[in-house]
Amino acid sequence: MDLVQMQKSLQDYTKSLFLEGILDSQFLQLQQLQDESNPDFVSQVVTLFFQDSDRILNDLSLSLDQQVVDFKKVDPHVHQLKGSSSSIGAQRVKNACVVFRSFCEQQNVEACHRCLQQVKQEYYLVKNRLETLFKLEQQIVASGGMIPAVELGF
Amino acid sequence: MRGDSFSMSIENIPDSPMVSRKKKMKIRKVFDKMTQWVTPWRSNLESPREMMILRGDVEQDEFQYASSHCLSSYYSVFVVRLAIMVMLAILIGLLTVLTWHFTRIYTKQSLKTLAYGLRYELLQRPVLRMWSVVNTTSELTTAQVKLSEYVIKKSDKPTTQEELVEMYQAMKDVTWALFASAKALNAITINYRNGFVQAFHRDPASSSTFYIFSDLKNYSINGIGPEDVSGWNNQSIHGNMSAIWYQQQLDPVTGEKLGKPLKIPPDDLINIAGISQVPDGEASWHVTVSKYMDSPLLSAALPVFDASNKSIVAVVGVTTALYSVGQLMRDLVDVHGGHIYLTSQEGYLLATSTNGPLLKNTTNGPKLMKAIDSEEWVIRAGAQWLEKTYGSKRPQEVHAENVKLGNQRYYIDSFYLNLKRLPIVSVVIIPRKFIMGKVDERAFKTLIILISASVCIFFIGCVCILILTNGVSKEMKLRAELIRQLDARRRAEASSNYKSQFLANMSHELRTPMAAVIGLLDILISDDCLSNEQYATVTQIRKCSTALLRLLNNILDLSKVESGKLVLEEAEFDLGRELEGLVDMFSVQCINHNVETVLDLSDDMPALVRGDSARLVQIFANLISNSIKFTTTGHIILRGWCENINSLHDEMSLTVDRKKPWAPMKTKLVQHRNHLQKSCKNANKMVLWFEVDDTGCGIDPSKWDSVFESFEQADPSTTRTHGGTGLGLCIVRNLVNKMGGEIKVVQKNGVGTLMRLYLILSTPETADQNIQPDFSKYGLVVLLSMYGSTARMITSKWLRKHGIATVEASDWNELTQIIRDLLEMGSRDNSFDSQNNIADSLRAELSNIEEIKNPVFVIVVDIGVLDLTTDIWKEQLNYLDRFSIKAKFAWLLKHDTSNTVKTELRRKGHVMMVNKPLYKAKMIQILEAVIKNRKRCNGLRNRGNGSDESHDCLEIDPTQFDTCSSDDSSETSGEKHIDKPVQPSTLHSPVLKNYLIDATNSNDDSRSASMTQKNPEEEDWKDRLYSGIVLDGKNLKSLEGIRILLAEDTPVLQRVATIMLEKMGATVTAVWDGQQAVDSLNYKSINAQDPTEEHKSSEEETANNSIKSQSSLRNSSPYDLILMDCQMPKMDGYEATKAIRRAEIGTELHIPIVALTAHAMSSDEAKCLEVGMDAYLTKPIDRKLMVSTILSLTKPSIFQTSLSA
Repeated sequence: MDLVQMQKSLQDYTKSLFLEGILDSQFLQLQQLQDESNPDFVSQVVTLFFQDSDRILNDLSLSLDQQVVDFKKVDPHVHQLKGSSSSIGAQRVKNACVVFRSFCEQQNVEACHRCLQQVKQEYYLVKNRLETLFKLEQQIVASGGMIPAVELGF
Repeated sequence: MRGDSFSMSIENIPDSPMVSRKKKMKIRKVFDKMTQWVTPWRSNLESPREMMILRGDVEQDEFQYASSHCLSSYYSVFVVRLAIMVMLAILIGLLTVLTWHFTRIYTKQSLKTLAYGLRYELLQRPVLRMWSVVNTTSELTTAQVKLSEYVIKKSDKPTTQEELVEMYQAMKDVTWALFASAKALNAITINYRNGFVQAFHRDPASSSTFYIFSDLKNYSINGIGPEDVSGWNNQSIHGNMSAIWYQQQLDPVTGEKLGKPLKIPPDDLINIAGISQVPDGEASWHVTVSKYMDSPLLSAALPVFDASNKSIVAVVGVTTALYSVGQLMRDLVDVHGGHIYLTSQEGYLLATSTNGPLLKNTTNGPKLMKAIDSEEWVIRAGAQWLEKTYGSKRPQEVHAENVKLGNQRYYIDSFYLNLKRLPIVSVVIIPRKFIMGKVDERAFKTLIILISASVCIFFIGCVCILILTNGVSKEMKLRAELIRQLDARRRAEASSNYKSQFLANMSHELRTPMAAVIGLLDILISDDCLSNEQYATVTQIRKCSTALLRLLNNILDLSKVESGKLVLEEAEFDLGRELEGLVDMFSVQCINHNVETVLDLSDDMPALVRGDSARLVQIFANLISNSIKFTTTGHIILRGWCENINSLHDEMSLTVDRKKPWAPMKTKLVQHRNHLQKSCKNANKMVLWFEVDDTGCGIDPSKWDSVFESFEQADPSTTRTHGGTGLGLCIVRNLVNKMGGEIKVVQKNGVGTLMRLYLILSTPETADQNIQPDFSKYGLVVLLSMYGSTARMITSKWLRKHGIATVEASDWNELTQIIRDLLEMGSRDNSFDSQNNIADSLRAELSNIEEIKNPVFVIVVDIGVLDLTTDIWKEQLNYLDRFSIKAKFAWLLKHDTSNTVKTELRRKGHVMMVNKPLYKAKMIQILEAVIKNRKRCNGLRNRGNGSDESHDCLEIDPTQFDTCSSDDSSETSGEKHIDKPVQPSTLHSPVLKNYLIDATNSNDDSRSASMTQKNPEEEDWKDRLYSGIVLDGKNLKSLEGIRILLAEDTPVLQRVATIMLEKMGATVTAVWDGQQAVDSLNYKSINAQDPTEEHKSSEEETANNSIKSQSSLRNSSPYDLILMDCQMPKMDGYEATKAIRRAEIGTELHIPIVALTAHAMSSDEAKCLEVGMDAYLTKPIDRKLMVSTILSLTKPSIFQTSLSA
């Protein structure tokens, strides 16, 4: 594939992520932090996020499947997920977490289950998209090109 | 609906306890009928209602509910009423009955006793009389017997006729004496053995007295012996019959014979007691009747024995009429009423109180009458009753009450007098009416009165209860109404809350995509391959988006203020600078509108105040933008002055207009005054007054209050012409109130609106806040050449106040004229003569200026004074350039002044250029620059030098720059301007310098630089909105050498934050929870005391001079700052902070701790600060904010040194 075209598609793809509200400016900040000293900083962080989130979601599912749901356990998990998702700019996950937390405060088990599904859905969406993004980036890097994302951040 | 309530009221009619089941059934039937009748009507009513909106239905339900509620309360009221009435009735009834009973019973009892006494008395009397009659009779009889015995004994055994006659004569005399003495006697008879009879008789009818005797001739002297008594007895009686009887009338008193004795038939007049009546020699009694008397007679008989006391010689009989008893009875009854009668044991009437006959005539002569046969009705009835009740076995005494005889009630009392041989029964019949009549009558009357009285009381009571309970029911009704109203109000409030909530949520949700839009627009703007047109369009979109975002923020702000969630921060900030930045910003807009924006702050305004700068700026931004919207020509002045606490009172009394609303404030302040005067060092509260004065269309006085309501606009057409939501002023009012102030529209002379507000802000404890440079000694002369008269006037006034001679010029001609006058000394006099149009005041001013020795002329020229439309401005510039040696020129540029003009100016060596508008701080800056320049160069005008100097001065510190121009649209709701506290020491020079336009910068051809220069405000906005995105070189290593401990459990965040900080040159140590943070701090601090460690670290830092000095200051602490996540496992941020602060007690250490939290609420911030944290950052981490926070928290020395580096 043509390098320029790939760069173009990557840029478009990134923009689409922003337009769909999957990511926000925080992700741009992350990209800005990436430089020669930390060449794959973004992917590192995102991978960390994936690992962390997988664990949290797993815990959450377990906690919510209990006979008696301990909301004191659930809430910190959601909070953590909210923190980490907002840090990488996955704002749809973050928003879902905000709703989730409000239901946690109300101790509404049913709604929490729904929210968990929502969060999972959003999470897998962002995971999917980001993985695609990284694949594209890798392709560009592999073909010796610059990642235009750096340009995105001015 | 109405039908419903109606039927309900029917249903709820309480059944009184008296109402039977049947009645209920009836009511039910009626009710059913009514509902049947009502139903069609109701359905008719409902059908249009169904078409109504949902709200109407809700109201209907509500009303229905309320009405049923009301009805149930009516029901209960009714029941209560009924209960009270019943109780009242029972009470009154009881009282009545008791009263009646007691009065009646007691009277009756006493009366009965009395009546009994009376009856007894009545009974006793006749009986006693009877008794006395009997006694008298008996005594007389006995006396007669005794006398007879005596006489007979004396003439014992008369042998001769003469003796016999003599004895009879003696007997007659004795008997007469006795008879005459006892008037009551009817007759005394002596019946001798031989049949001779002597008798005295009184005839009550003719009241004459007779002596009756039989013929003596037939009697033998030798009578039959006493042996044959029985023969004598019978014989004598029969013999007597044959004897001749004589009756001789006697004088009743003397006993003298009055006439010849008459022959009478025997036994004609009186009963002669014979031997038969004394068969056993004892006295005998019996009742007889006489032919000639209508009353019965009581006769007693006693035998007279001879001397030997063996034989009966004669029989004496005494007869007494019972007439006197009857007389007594009549007398008694006359007084008392009623009837009395006496009967013998057999029931024969002896005496009655009536005049009725006691005897009945039969063929055999008169006979005694039985009581039951009496002609008197009452006696007959009484006797019959007695007979019927008791029969033959009558008790000794009978006392019967309430015996009904005929139609009347009677008392019947009977007494049995057991006389030997003559038992007597006396009976008294008294009508009850006679004794109890009055009592019964009274009792009846009393009863009637009592009953009527109690009925009256009952009815009055009922009425009272009705009235009282009516009040209660009314109150209940009202209460129900009130409850309904409250409910409605609550609903309304809730719906209003929902609305606000909805708005807040909506705006919050809208902001996110807006942020994306703006972000993408920024990306687009920075793209190089846009055409100019595209660029302009995108810029326009960017502006619109920003405006939209601002609107959203406004809504969010409003709802936040209304919900009370807004917490004002307390931080020091430079009020003047904030306002100047604001005016700068708006002047751009105003110049387009041909409106002058003027900032007029008094000199006594404190430079530094404590408060929420962002909100303060928001207040004025809203006010000014509001003014701009409505002002097409003229000016907008933002006036500010400080209310000196001491002069407060005068101020208050002067402004009558303000006096009232501020009155409570005044007293509060006056109270504060003394305290404040005593302790000047304390952060004292200041009252800052502001006015926003415009020359716009003005507001109708009737709307002055309502414009501050949300979604209110003075004129509904405003939205069409000017746009806007009407939220701005509402936010302003809320914020002002929150800052302890008030805002109102004030009457103004001339057109436009004058908004006046005051705020209460505390000033920090810096003694020398108002350092006003003294310019008067430099002999400065300022020539102000400006278009806008308002700004010029204000500035010149200020300058004159500070002892600087000022001349004003409004256009080019005037300017040249004055310049010539001032600088071309030679032709000065001429020009004075020729220029008559110069005003006297100006001339006076000019003459004053002449007196100044070695004046320094400063000419401030508005670029608008030059004719920029054509090329004439170059000529004008050249003309002015001639005077550049004698005077310093300062240029006021517009934001759209073209580059060519600027270049030309610079080329000609005019380095002092400021953007409009001109205000105090800029003026001071210009003057200081002039003075400094003069000092340094000693009058020499070196262009390069000046440029260098200005270059030096114009160093713009990014942090400060950010501070000076905060606008009304803060990026996020939770964002806090922690970088606000500006150190006073670093404030003065950079602040003043940055007004001058950077000359070197403007030489740069790059577009971004020219943009910055053209519109720095806009750039500021972008910086603020996208602070995280834009990275300038200055920021990159701004955290150089700062050691940071990061406690964060989320790996992602930890990584991001670490990289972010490291990129900016900080040394980061990351730990996973609070416990580790505390531990590492302890470990490090122990290590830090180790000299080798210290040495090592200091060696590391030798590379950087500034860090070295910093290190020497802070070598006792392992970290310069801690970033602490709030929610962490094991030990959360709050606990960790508490632990660290505990450990710090006793040492002089204070490690700044910055909280990192995802809660974006002010309350969390409060919690953070409470546990001892110094600042607060929200996730996701905003880089710029983080940097400024960290810099402001690490020691000021670092800050300064890094600046100077």
